[in-house]
Amino acid sequence: MKLNFLFPSKFKRIGWFTLIPSAIIGLLILIYEYEPSFLDFNVPAIFVDELFSVNRKTFRMVANNILNEILGVLIIISTFLVAFSKEKSEDEYISKIRFESLAWAVYFNYAILILTLLFIYDFAFLWVMVFNMFTVLLFFIVRFNWQISKLKKSASYEE
Amino acid sequence: MKNSIKVERAKKNITQAELAKLAKVSRQTINAMELGKYVPSTVLALRLAQIFEVEISGIFTLEDSDWV
Repeated sequence: MKLNFLFPSKFKRIGWFTLIPSAIIGLLILIYEYEPSFLDFNVPAIFVDELFSVNRKTFRMVANNILNEILGVLIIISTFLVAFSKEKSEDEYISKIRFESLAWAVYFNYAILILTLLFIYDFAFLWVMVFNMFTVLLFFIVRFNWQISKLKKSASYEE
Repeated sequence: MKNSIKVERAKKNITQAELAKLAKVSRQTINAMELGKYVPSTVLALRLAQIFEVEISGIFTLEDSDWV
């Protein structure tokens, strides 16, 4: 089976090299609310303030510090590279493991989301939503790589 | 589904790695098929039949559990 949505295998390494630093920096600027003034810009926004309020404003320019946007995009793109680069020996069995891991990650992610929805409130829940932007793919990466390493171990003997 | 890949491999006297190379899959896939952990696609099954020069039904056989 040919999968067309995968990147060449060398992109996996590039993904890791971008993901790890940008995830660490992203977390730090989130915790310390670091917003360097040279990244303050007026940026186009589709919605301003509340989406469903009566005095909602649409399609305006708003002042914003773009550091967290840059890091968010970097993290998502690098996570995609890590998750969807071909294995060196990508074949139909690996594809099957890939799909199973992806389905598993979606189930797991939403199970966790239901739990947090029920037991975490207010600003703490906002943090959950921030992490939830990335967790489906992160759960996928963990599960898939674990399955692959298990596979390599189980196949390391030969008679 | 049962298969006789291991037997056919022994007849041809080739290793899992050599068969993997011939069938253009990874050795882990050959191993998983021999252990009954993975059912190959029709394309891979046909490739194996061609490599072993047998009918596809000579390698793969249905079991009762395949009808459930």
